[in-house]
Amino acid sequence: MNLFKRAEIAPLEYTRRLWMRAWIAATLFFLYAPLLVLIAFSFNDSKRNIVWRGFTFKYYGKVLENDGLMAALGNSLTIAFLATVFSIILGTLAAVMLWRFRFPGKTAVEGTMALPIVVPEICMGVAMLVFFAKLDWPTDLPWPLNLSAITIAHITFCFPFVAMVVRARLAGFNKEQEEAAKDLGATEWQAFRDVLLPHMKPGIIAGALLAFTLSLDDFVITFFTSGPNTITFPVKVYSMVRFSVTPEVNAASAILIFLTILLTTVALKLQDFTKATA
Amino acid sequence: MQDWKQHKATFASIAVSPVLWLVAFFIVPLAVVWLYSFGRNVGLTEIDISGTFSNYGRALEPLYLEIFGKSVAVAALTTLICLIIGFPIALAITFAQPKWRPWMLLAIMLPFWTNLLIRTYALITVLRTEGYVNKSLGWFWEGASSLKVMVGMAPLSTWEPLPLLYNNFAVILGLVYVHLPFMVLPLYAALDRLDRSLIEASLDLGAGHFRTLTQIVAPLAAPGIISGVIITFVPALGAYLTPDLMGGPDSQMIANVIERQFKRANDWPFGAALSFLLMYATFILIALQTLRNRSAERRS
Amino acid sequence: MNRRIPLEVFRANRRSILQGLGAAAVGLSLTGALAGCGSKEDGAKIGGTGEEPKLNFYNWDTYIGETTLGDFKGVSGIDVNMSLFATNDELFAKLRAGNPGFDVIVPSNDFVERMVKADMLIALDHAQIPNIKNVDPSFINVAYDPGRKFSLPYTWLVLGIGYRKSKVKGKPDSWKVLFDSPEYKGRIALLSEAGDMFRLYGKYLGKSVNGLTPEDIKVIEAMMIKQKPNVKAYHEDNGQDLLLSGEVDLVLEYNGDIAQIMTEDDDIDFVIPKEGSQLNSDTLCIPKGAPHPKNAHAFINYLLEAEAGKKIAETILYPTPNAAAKALMPDAYKNNPVIFPPADLLAKCEYAAYNEKLQPLYEEAFTRVRAA
Repeated sequence: MNLFKRAEIAPLEYTRRLWMRAWIAATLFFLYAPLLVLIAFSFNDSKRNIVWRGFTFKYYGKVLENDGLMAALGNSLTIAFLATVFSIILGTLAAVMLWRFRFPGKTAVEGTMALPIVVPEICMGVAMLVFFAKLDWPTDLPWPLNLSAITIAHITFCFPFVAMVVRARLAGFNKEQEEAAKDLGATEWQAFRDVLLPHMKPGIIAGALLAFTLSLDDFVITFFTSGPNTITFPVKVYSMVRFSVTPEVNAASAILIFLTILLTTVALKLQDFTKATA
Repeated sequence: MQDWKQHKATFASIAVSPVLWLVAFFIVPLAVVWLYSFGRNVGLTEIDISGTFSNYGRALEPLYLEIFGKSVAVAALTTLICLIIGFPIALAITFAQPKWRPWMLLAIMLPFWTNLLIRTYALITVLRTEGYVNKSLGWFWEGASSLKVMVGMAPLSTWEPLPLLYNNFAVILGLVYVHLPFMVLPLYAALDRLDRSLIEASLDLGAGHFRTLTQIVAPLAAPGIISGVIITFVPALGAYLTPDLMGGPDSQMIANVIERQFKRANDWPFGAALSFLLMYATFILIALQTLRNRSAERRS
Repeated sequence: MNRRIPLEVFRANRRSILQGLGAAAVGLSLTGALAGCGSKEDGAKIGGTGEEPKLNFYNWDTYIGETTLGDFKGVSGIDVNMSLFATNDELFAKLRAGNPGFDVIVPSNDFVERMVKADMLIALDHAQIPNIKNVDPSFINVAYDPGRKFSLPYTWLVLGIGYRKSKVKGKPDSWKVLFDSPEYKGRIALLSEAGDMFRLYGKYLGKSVNGLTPEDIKVIEAMMIKQKPNVKAYHEDNGQDLLLSGEVDLVLEYNGDIAQIMTEDDDIDFVIPKEGSQLNSDTLCIPKGAPHPKNAHAFINYLLEAEAGKKIAETILYPTPNAAAKALMPDAYKNNPVIFPPADLLAKCEYAAYNEKLQPLYEEAFTRVRAA
């Protein structure tokens, strides 16, 4: 009770209400329980995730020794990073374009922009396969140029997601703000940077998270655009676990989870730090 | 809304890169597959684009329309559940203290940076007949049973594990599990820009939280809800792995059928026709939505 | 089908393996030395062909000996880069638009036929693969590739019923329990691969796997719809997991997959039904457009060597068509009735031929079954 007596709960502090906390806790439990089981089984001394046969670290050793898996992980992170950056730029521009301008064929552009979200993955994968094959896209370039085909495909299906989220965010923007800035002598670019961009920021962050997630997790389209030297983590994992998950794959996932937590924590802390010192 | 003619330079600098990208790396590749949908297999790898509509004719047979209808229903239910679960979460993130916000977003996103297939297998491990959910439920059942015995009543019948896997329930559960962040993120992006004073005013004027939510927050967040619904519904409609791995004998969705055409059946023209039917439908829906928005704009 | 059987399969029999190895030690070291010499000569020859010392191998997961790739590099100097695929359909779809740079691939028999028809494979130069002599003669003249012009056998497998002994009455030695009976309602899992399903139903009806007609397909479709309420799942080739975790008690699977889980659970067994079944064989092929065809020949030749073949069989523990390698293996492998089923049953099993006309019919009928 002490927890709640500290201060009156303001009407909008939903996060401090008990029912809301229960709801969040239940959802997080739903999301995390399977993952905890997964991590637990990465220490299982059996080839399969079915029966517990004792504790071991050996699968972590195996993962770290598995050069193919590590290289695939590196490829995946590189592609996801590049795809996210490009998707943010293209997606934000597309959202601003659709939100701000009236132009002939707008409905068609809008509909087409939504298509990469709609098209069945396998269909897009085949389209990309044929496209790059017909172009004779070189496959034997040095790293990271050999990832170009996959990265292009990823940007194509990621940036419409960013566009859609940012567009929804822009819908509530008060245009007078931007016009006021321009009236006060700001250039087009200054108005964009200082007024519009800050407003879009939450949308861009949400879009970036989506793009990163989609890219990191994509199997089908990547499968059809990858060559012998450009294996990504999902492609590697799919061929390894299509039949059953081994603790080695669990261990790799656990490492990925810990790595993500670590990196994000550092990033967030840095941001706090720069804010505090700024 | 500005007319592009009055701001040609600005319009061009904004529009060129996304539109060019879309044309070069999406329309062109997809156009090839679109042409395939009017062709037929000649031998094993050649497709003769003969302008036939027979693939579409076949795709519109009741068999495929029924599967399509069923997939829409499953995806819609998934989206609804995601909305019900995700809306309060997005609300909580929006109104949390600023320093907590990134952490809460991260907590929602983190599971989704684990590979989809691995996550699905993890869910299967938890849900199977001898999995942890059934074990825990069985344990509670036994407990309740022995409690009843203690107070002198007849014990409960023996525990029968719930069939949590290999049926349509499992497919929807799996889809919700996989698609939740697709709903939470756009909702968060939209809710975040709400004018809080409106909500406070509503509460001050005596409206309850629920009424405020449905009458004030939901309409204001409508664009975010719509984009969240689209972003969740569409991928859920295209899901093939979850029904494959968690579904029962009749949990086949349209994406499974499409995938089989491109892989096992090696019938690319038919697979292309099925895919494009899906896209035509969505294209029309979105175009209608845009037209409606625009006429609303003109009226106001 | 799962291409991995861990060494644990024979953990219980490790001692007998060691004894077997000891008995064969003299012969082993002799053949090993000879094989080694031969390879080294081959390696020198490859150097002379002027191809860069690289090779892209497209294989199933854990379908190679633990040291095989390194050993090959040792004798030939060629660096093997192995990537993995999970199903034949994926392999075919991926190579259909053009070969992105693979030198050696491992398709199954019916896909060899498909790829030959689609002109996707290079005819093998048998002169560059002297180790063909090691292949069991019964695997040389096969219907799907007469005279082995395009493919050489790597392993073979057979479909049957894996089951939990304590939950099943007797030996379920007929397809009836899976295909045509409510006896084990909700406790059976079948394959989701349409072609295999229809062909095995055909077998149950006393027909050849390659002798089905469109009328038969209609009959079978009706039988499948009737049986569907009794089926728990059409599995994606992970039937062994369903069986091991107790989700189902009977499962349609490949012998190798069941042999693998039999080591984890004594209560599991495998039987080939008395009506006969369908055989599969995975083969080594060179796709058109391979950047290093000479290296590819040398690699295939190396994989067919007795000693290399033995090391592969020791790791993956699938039935090998390599007679010379099998001869080097211990009795625990050679006499395992799950890996090498009895000859009288095998005589009733057939390889499925690729049928361009029936394949789409199978697919559509199976879609109807699942939608019913």
